[in-house]
Amino acid sequence: MKLGTLAKYALLVVASIIVAFPLLVALSYSFMSESEIATFPPPVFPAQPSLDNYSQVFATIPIVRYLLNSFVVSTAVVVGQLITASLAAYAFSFLVFRGRQVLFFLFLSTLMIPWEATIIPNYMTIRTIGWLDTYQGLAVPFMATAFGTFLLRQAFLQIPRELWDAARIDGASTFRFLISTVIPLSRPALGTIAIYGFLSTYNQYFWPLLITNQPLMRTTQVGIAQLRFEETLRWGLVMAGVIMVAIPTLALLVVGQRQLIRGLTAGAVKG
Amino acid sequence: MRRLATLALAFTMVATACGGLAPGGSDSSALAPAKDVAPAATMTWWHAMSGVNGDAVNKIVAGFNSSQSKIKVEAIFQGNYDDLLAKLNTAIASNAAPALVQVYDIGQRYMYDSAQVVPMQAFIDRDKFNTSDFEPAVINYYKYQDKLQSMPFNASTPVLYYNKDAFKEVGLDPAKPPVTFTEIADAAKKLTKKDASGQTTRYGFGPSIYGWLFEQLMATSGALYADNGNGRDNRSTKVVYNSAAGKAILDWWKAGVDGGYFYNPGIDNDGAANAFNAQKSAMYIESTARMRGHITTIAGKFELGIGLYPRPDSKPKEGGNIIGGASLYIMKSRPPAEQQAAWEFVKYAMSSAVQAQWQSDTGYYPVVKSAYDQAPSKDFSTKYPQFQVAISEIRDSPQNRSTNGAVLGVMPQARQRTQKMIESVLLGQATSQAALDAAVTEMNAAIDKYNKANP
Repeated sequence: MKLGTLAKYALLVVASIIVAFPLLVALSYSFMSESEIATFPPPVFPAQPSLDNYSQVFATIPIVRYLLNSFVVSTAVVVGQLITASLAAYAFSFLVFRGRQVLFFLFLSTLMIPWEATIIPNYMTIRTIGWLDTYQGLAVPFMATAFGTFLLRQAFLQIPRELWDAARIDGASTFRFLISTVIPLSRPALGTIAIYGFLSTYNQYFWPLLITNQPLMRTTQVGIAQLRFEETLRWGLVMAGVIMVAIPTLALLVVGQRQLIRGLTAGAVKG
Repeated sequence: MRRLATLALAFTMVATACGGLAPGGSDSSALAPAKDVAPAATMTWWHAMSGVNGDAVNKIVAGFNSSQSKIKVEAIFQGNYDDLLAKLNTAIASNAAPALVQVYDIGQRYMYDSAQVVPMQAFIDRDKFNTSDFEPAVINYYKYQDKLQSMPFNASTPVLYYNKDAFKEVGLDPAKPPVTFTEIADAAKKLTKKDASGQTTRYGFGPSIYGWLFEQLMATSGALYADNGNGRDNRSTKVVYNSAAGKAILDWWKAGVDGGYFYNPGIDNDGAANAFNAQKSAMYIESTARMRGHITTIAGKFELGIGLYPRPDSKPKEGGNIIGGASLYIMKSRPPAEQQAAWEFVKYAMSSAVQAQWQSDTGYYPVVKSAYDQAPSKDFSTKYPQFQVAISEIRDSPQNRSTNGAVLGVMPQARQRTQKMIESVLLGQATSQAALDAAVTEMNAAIDKYNKANP
């Protein structure tokens, strides 16, 4: 191996350790007892690794159920976002109709409305239709996304107009063109929206806390909050919970990483 | 929406009418539902207790539900105190609040001004409920104009935590912890250890910059934090902690940090606790609620001592500690039957057996004194003899406006502002008097704004 490559790899190893450090510390702490964490200077590796913190998490909260809830809700949001965003983006990029531009900017302007401003009206709506403590109450308000629509529209605009013309000549309907051509060509962008939507739903805290009251309908982030005791913070326990909650999202990132990076850079360079 | 507004208006009118019926407001029982209203079959309670404390809450609820067959209480964890209050605000707007909620100490004035609460005093007066057994320091904190607004539930005070082994090591008497400002500074100087390179390896005293601790130091100084009797006689119109007492506290703190024998963890309560656990500081001040956590964490490393909270050298007779924690509010927006059910549950939770078990499970003070005679509480005292100091601390606190503690609608902000103030002094950005005056001016504007918005 050449010296330059070696230096590059060394640098990358150092950088990745720095980036992964918080996660590694969380992992290490999750195997430590409380009194070991409290020694000074703080130890990096557990002297006597134990699974006590993990069994404590199981004893304190129904973590499996929380993971399942978060998974169901996040998946539902992703499916909903993909459908609504691709349909809307398709209209904004391929279909020509009066007021398209105005409508699009109106759509985009909703990005400027702070989420906090909509929370009470949303809550009242969900409550009025009786969706408190339900999966649909957790998922439906997030099934449309202006950001996703914008991202997809940019991706759709990259698709050559000629394909559209060719498809029309071949007699494809508007919908058929979307399904057979546009969607398959936009997989990176769709992947990005899916991962982004999944993670942001998975990490929600206040909304799930707000609209659920039954312990069995709660989600992972509310569960983590339950591990934070009001007076004494037990780091080992919290870290064990964090690790368990982080595993599904990490798995998703590993699987979807390629799509995510391709999608995020898609609009950046024209080509 | 319109119906809701009408409803809210109706409630306000009822409240006003009832206030008018009671001359001088001496009897507020009319605010409570009539005594013969049958309690609802189910009642919901929102709380902020997680972990061990959450289990203790569920134990109380299970005990109540099995003790009788008419009412079923459902306890729901709603995040930490701030999350719970945020959720309560949202729920009130759409009439989805529960009958009983646990709100933290500093939300007291806010709850009062929200006009969403049936004062606990109304139920007490209606049933001639005997409160003579209640711990005065605990119950007085939740009174406004000598009327109980909410039922104290989890109560704690701050104490001095100290490392007995470190005391022995430097020749201090581990049985006699320092109490006054000078005693603490002197002990801290002795306890501070440096290594060969001049780096401090152990500080004598390491309190977090925590607004609550400043409020407590004002109380042990026998000084007021806000006007109108700390907001107890009438609503506060300004804060007054830029007094000689306030300056003495900051000067003491600053001298210790500058002298290198006080550790400054910053605005970080967990950091201060961890520094104490890790023996980076030999003394610090924090809530009694942390005691059990400390005992488990430091087991086998050093012996924990608990002493009285610091006070000025003159040991003012009128000085003492304020309790902190949270209390239970019965919400006005629920039907009378549910309020009735909530009151039945509150009475059960205040029984001495339940309170003794609660103390033993959580380390909070029992609200009723007779709880100390019950077995769980006695076992707790045997297991944690250190807790005795905490009990005598509140028992010996004289009851007056400064030890009742301040109530402000903007208490959370006030606390944050004092933290900024202390930090600016410790970092040398402002002199103590200038920092006090600046904080007071800013807070008075905030209080003014709040009072105008909540006439």
